[in-house]
Amino acid sequence: MAAFDDHRPPSLELIGDCVHCGFCLPTCPTFALWGEEMDSPRGRIHLMEQGLQGEPMTESMVGHIDACLGCMACVTACPSGVQYNRLIEATRAQVERRHDRGWRDRLLRGAVFAVFPHPRRLRALRGPLRTYQRTGLDRLVRRSGLLERLAPRLAAMAALAPRLGPRERVPTRVPAVGERRAVVGLLTGCVQGEFFPGVNAATARVLAAEGCDVVVPPSQGCCGALSVHNGREAEARRYARATIDGFEAAGVQTVVVNAAGCGSSMKEYADLLSDENAYAERAAAFSSRVRDVSELLAELGTVAPRHPLGVTVAYHDACHLGHAQGVRSQPRALLREIPGVQLREIADADICCGSAGIYNILAPEPARELGDRKAADVLATGADLLVTANPGCLMQVAAALERRGARMPMAHTIEVLDASIRGLPVNELLRRG
Amino acid sequence: MATRTLDEARSAVKSACGDVRDAGTSDDVDGVTPSLVARPASTEQVADVMRAAASHGLAVVPRGHGTKLSWGRPPERADLVVDLSRMDAVLDHASGDLIVEAQAGAGLADVQRAVAIAGQRLSVDETVPGATVGGTLATAASGPGRLLSGTVRDLLIGVTVVRADGVVAHAGGRVVKNVAGYDLGKLVVGSFGTLAVVTEAVFRLHPIPAARSLVTRDVATPAEAQRLVQAVLHAQVVPSAVEIRWGDGRGAVSVLLEGRETGVRARTAATVALLGDGATTATGDLPDDWSRYPWHGTPATALKATFAVSGLERVLADATAGGDRIDLRGSAGAGVTYLAVHETDVGAVAALVERLRRTCASLGGALVVLDGPADVKAAVDSWGPVPALDLMRRVKHQFDPARTLSPGRFVGGI
Amino acid sequence: MNRTGLNAVTIAAQRVLPPDAVITDHTRLRTYDCDGLAQYRVTPALVVLPQTTGQLAAVVRACAEHGVPFVARGSGTGLSGGALPHADGVLVVTSRMRAILAVRPDDQRAVVQPGVVNLDVTKAATGFGYYYAPDPSSQQVCSIGGNLAENSGGAHCLKYGFTTNHVVGAEFVTPDGDVVALGGTAPDAPGYDLLGAVVGSEGTLGVATSVTLRLVRLPEDVQTVLCGFATTDDAGAATTAIISAGIVPAAIEMMDALAIEAAEAAVHCQYPEGAGAVLVIELDGPAADVSAELDDVQRLCRESAAFEIRVAADDAERALIWKGRKSAFAAVGRISPDYIVQDGVIPRTALPEVLLAIADLSSRTGVRVANVFHAGDGNLHPLVLFDDSVDGAGTAAEEVSGAILDLCLAHGGSITGEHGVGADKVAYMPRMFTDDDLDTMQMVRCAFDPAGIANPGKVFPTPRLCGEVPGRHRGAHPLVEAGVAEAF
Repeated sequence: MAAFDDHRPPSLELIGDCVHCGFCLPTCPTFALWGEEMDSPRGRIHLMEQGLQGEPMTESMVGHIDACLGCMACVTACPSGVQYNRLIEATRAQVERRHDRGWRDRLLRGAVFAVFPHPRRLRALRGPLRTYQRTGLDRLVRRSGLLERLAPRLAAMAALAPRLGPRERVPTRVPAVGERRAVVGLLTGCVQGEFFPGVNAATARVLAAEGCDVVVPPSQGCCGALSVHNGREAEARRYARATIDGFEAAGVQTVVVNAAGCGSSMKEYADLLSDENAYAERAAAFSSRVRDVSELLAELGTVAPRHPLGVTVAYHDACHLGHAQGVRSQPRALLREIPGVQLREIADADICCGSAGIYNILAPEPARELGDRKAADVLATGADLLVTANPGCLMQVAAALERRGARMPMAHTIEVLDASIRGLPVNELLRRG
Repeated sequence: MATRTLDEARSAVKSACGDVRDAGTSDDVDGVTPSLVARPASTEQVADVMRAAASHGLAVVPRGHGTKLSWGRPPERADLVVDLSRMDAVLDHASGDLIVEAQAGAGLADVQRAVAIAGQRLSVDETVPGATVGGTLATAASGPGRLLSGTVRDLLIGVTVVRADGVVAHAGGRVVKNVAGYDLGKLVVGSFGTLAVVTEAVFRLHPIPAARSLVTRDVATPAEAQRLVQAVLHAQVVPSAVEIRWGDGRGAVSVLLEGRETGVRARTAATVALLGDGATTATGDLPDDWSRYPWHGTPATALKATFAVSGLERVLADATAGGDRIDLRGSAGAGVTYLAVHETDVGAVAALVERLRRTCASLGGALVVLDGPADVKAAVDSWGPVPALDLMRRVKHQFDPARTLSPGRFVGGI
Repeated sequence: MNRTGLNAVTIAAQRVLPPDAVITDHTRLRTYDCDGLAQYRVTPALVVLPQTTGQLAAVVRACAEHGVPFVARGSGTGLSGGALPHADGVLVVTSRMRAILAVRPDDQRAVVQPGVVNLDVTKAATGFGYYYAPDPSSQQVCSIGGNLAENSGGAHCLKYGFTTNHVVGAEFVTPDGDVVALGGTAPDAPGYDLLGAVVGSEGTLGVATSVTLRLVRLPEDVQTVLCGFATTDDAGAATTAIISAGIVPAAIEMMDALAIEAAEAAVHCQYPEGAGAVLVIELDGPAADVSAELDDVQRLCRESAAFEIRVAADDAERALIWKGRKSAFAAVGRISPDYIVQDGVIPRTALPEVLLAIADLSSRTGVRVANVFHAGDGNLHPLVLFDDSVDGAGTAAEEVSGAILDLCLAHGGSITGEHGVGADKVAYMPRMFTDDDLDTMQMVRCAFDPAGIANPGKVFPTPRLCGEVPGRHRGAHPLVEAGVAEAF
């Protein structure tokens, strides 16, 4: 039986764009780790082509597809414009539908998707997770290999999140300060919203300071990024439709996102829902109005004065911001606008930190190696503060640093801007992480 | 050779190439007297001569102007000297493409004269006056300019050879960029006439620089020499040559700079600053002996010592450690130097060779006894240990299974 | 297929290599079925990924013992099918041998394993003020071992030479499985220059397992100039003027309108609009020299009717100018479904004539040809564009491609300047060399590989019987008679 069925298989036409030049190999994290063709974008495209030619979906084929982080570094590197992002998504959906995973794998994935896309459930776990960590219960839980993977990561999130006072809610509407230049909707997200709520609050403040009315639709849920990146197509479509509905109702011209993975996914709703009559056009329109917060701020231009922050910053490009959305210069420009900020580049910036959505839960070994490499490169910059635009990256690097007995303050790009606009002292930022 | 067979051989070679005569004492190859000397006028004649020689089992030694005929070891036997000096033409100078094609018997000086008309040069030093293209290729002789331009190995882009069996073969071509087939040119370079007879060669050329200056600084210790050489190499003055002279407990470091007027001036100033007090600058013609080997015009034993560049100090120290009178000269920048050993006591020379050979080997290089008095050559291992010798013998066996080309002159008795 | 032999080699490999370094699974084997020349596909019977010299030598020894052919592969980016596997053979992949063993700036040397990426050598050396000069366009992915096998060039080889001028030593595994040392740290190792014969031998003489490279001091100044011309003739005239003025630029690259279009679409290099041709000229060296040369180059380009001259203001601009040139091949994929990239060389002075002839050929056959090339040394890379889904288009493209090579040979050039003969141009070897030439070259092959197991079928059309006495053949070659080989 051939690997793929007729429902949205990876496109032979897109596969045909690959000329086998190999420029993708040096930026692929799994090729960097293992040096074998099957775990490179070029090799994975070959496997997809084999599947289309009638080869069955073997355990080995699935293994190599699963091993792909979905970081899109290959898309950036490819001179022929191969749309690997679309190819891997289509293939993952096929794998999800047509391959029988082992019970452990299924259980783990089930647990992840029962928790992560549900803000309320995440919220409910916050308290217990703090206890879990503080009492050292995490050290006791080594029995089932599953909880060990899930719980430590959730516990890490709890550890990284600032101490909770009253939960910093973002109001449903934040008016612009001074002249109103835009009306924007804000995605509050799941993991970031519940575990790093300061980021959403900072986002709203900065947008308002730059003349935006910020609308936070109360009925929003998960954008479906994790689902689409892991081949759970039906689930992803449900989340996408709901997100579109929610923001349309709010009547905003732009939808602003501060989590890299979410923004990238939402910009691809057009493709995801392209075959649904009721949603195709709306999805296309919606996608074209999605902006990462740094993108939008760069488009608007800076009006709010910046107060100095004397700090050296190592800026880390989250893959779904840098590679998937091509947003690299805007965050850097925004950081450089702050007097006193010195920006340092991280070596091998193109290579993923290993977080890759939930990759570090599903494939902890390679994720750990990649995290270690990234942590070493980050430390080598000698910077005071690590800045990035993705909660996953933050946690991944923090965990890797901890493994080497190091610590480093971390912040979201928007939190740095927020601190500068509000004239906060640098120590506010450096207290974290 | 027995008279009857000699007569048969002579007439066979004569029908291949008109100019054949019996050898005289001046035709000795490192003490071995051949029987015949042939002077072919073309590649076809060389091929015919080689075929005739092969069918009569003659041992052949190719010769240009004979300036390096005593390099290496004496041949086991030498029946026929193939003298390439009649094939001395510069065949073609394509100045727009910066290439020149010359016959193997052409003198380096003749080639330089021909290409200088278009303001170009073949970046090969004439280390022995009268050297020919073929002889330079066969011995891979090189001088100070190798640091920037490379040697004949790097400048050769095409070659025509005649095999021991008389078959004519070509490799490379007339264009610098060429990776079609094997690089036979590289195999033949430095092969001491043991693989094939080179009859024609194509080289890449360079423009003659507009200006030149030579900055020299005396040095009193090996350590000082090393320090200065390293300083120049790590600077960005792009020297054409970085030469060391050493002997009698003192020496000098010389840096040759070439290029445009303004550039040379600036780089000269930088180099003078690097070399420090006592550095002198000279413009105009280079000294007469600039590219001469240190043993030139003397009966000294001639050594070639190569080593990793950072080992200069050790080599200088070891060369004089035995108290022998030596003159060392060469490219400190490339790690290729030449020594004249004026010591006549065979035992002392042998000890020096052994000691220096160990040093060079430990520095990733080698020591070769290029030439010397007969008693010295008899007492030493001229070539030293050679890795991959077995593979080299297999190559030799493919090209010359009957061992008729310069047998015994080369490494491992090849 | 020599099943017994292959099984024996597999077992031997599994004895010395970790399990994930011996690949026998069919799906996985298929992913190795081609290198950068995707038109030819052959699935190897076995793939091994050694990490040490000992492991690699052990596999080759097993191949020698059981008469199993082997092919070496680095990053699989070659453009002549040099790493095309043998269906009944072993593919020895060096991508896990990627350690930089030493960087010694005081000796101007680096020692690396063959799987090390070309650009990574430079990255390791820049901190010391040095770099590795040969820079093929694929340098961010191609391996040093592959560079050695092909004698790779790159844009900067005009001034700095090719791989063979920068490889000074190698630890080498012969087709017998022996490990030998060729060359060394210091130049001029006594004996035959086997290293010189091995570099560029396209994997037919053995496999390098450690390579000693020559490092070059970083230049004090680099200036990159992008010039727009109305025609390739003008650009060619500018090139001639520059070379005739006695300037040796670090690189002069030319691209024609079609190639520019592709590059623009791919990487948005913003080349001069409406240009019929561009020159990318790079000058490097001491600041004063470069400054003087830059003035001359600009003047000479202007005198050759350049309508736009852009000097890169900083590293970012320089990188963007080069990005256009370096991604040209792969970028052509955007303006044409399929293409053939050629690699002919002509004397530089023949450039205008040959370009005209190519244009003529293109218009006569209706097959589009985009031109990218190293103007300084006459190395052309015509990109012959076609759509394979159209009947006969592939054949027409092949014919045009072959005709271009014939043009090169007619002008005294070469069939390959840097990509190698591989599997792709084997048929053209007899057009460039006589039987005697090919026979003589193969004597070297017989010395290294009498059993003929190292990358068989590549470079030479008719294998030489190694036991033969050298000499002319009379009548049909025994292998042709046996139906084992074809005579072209």
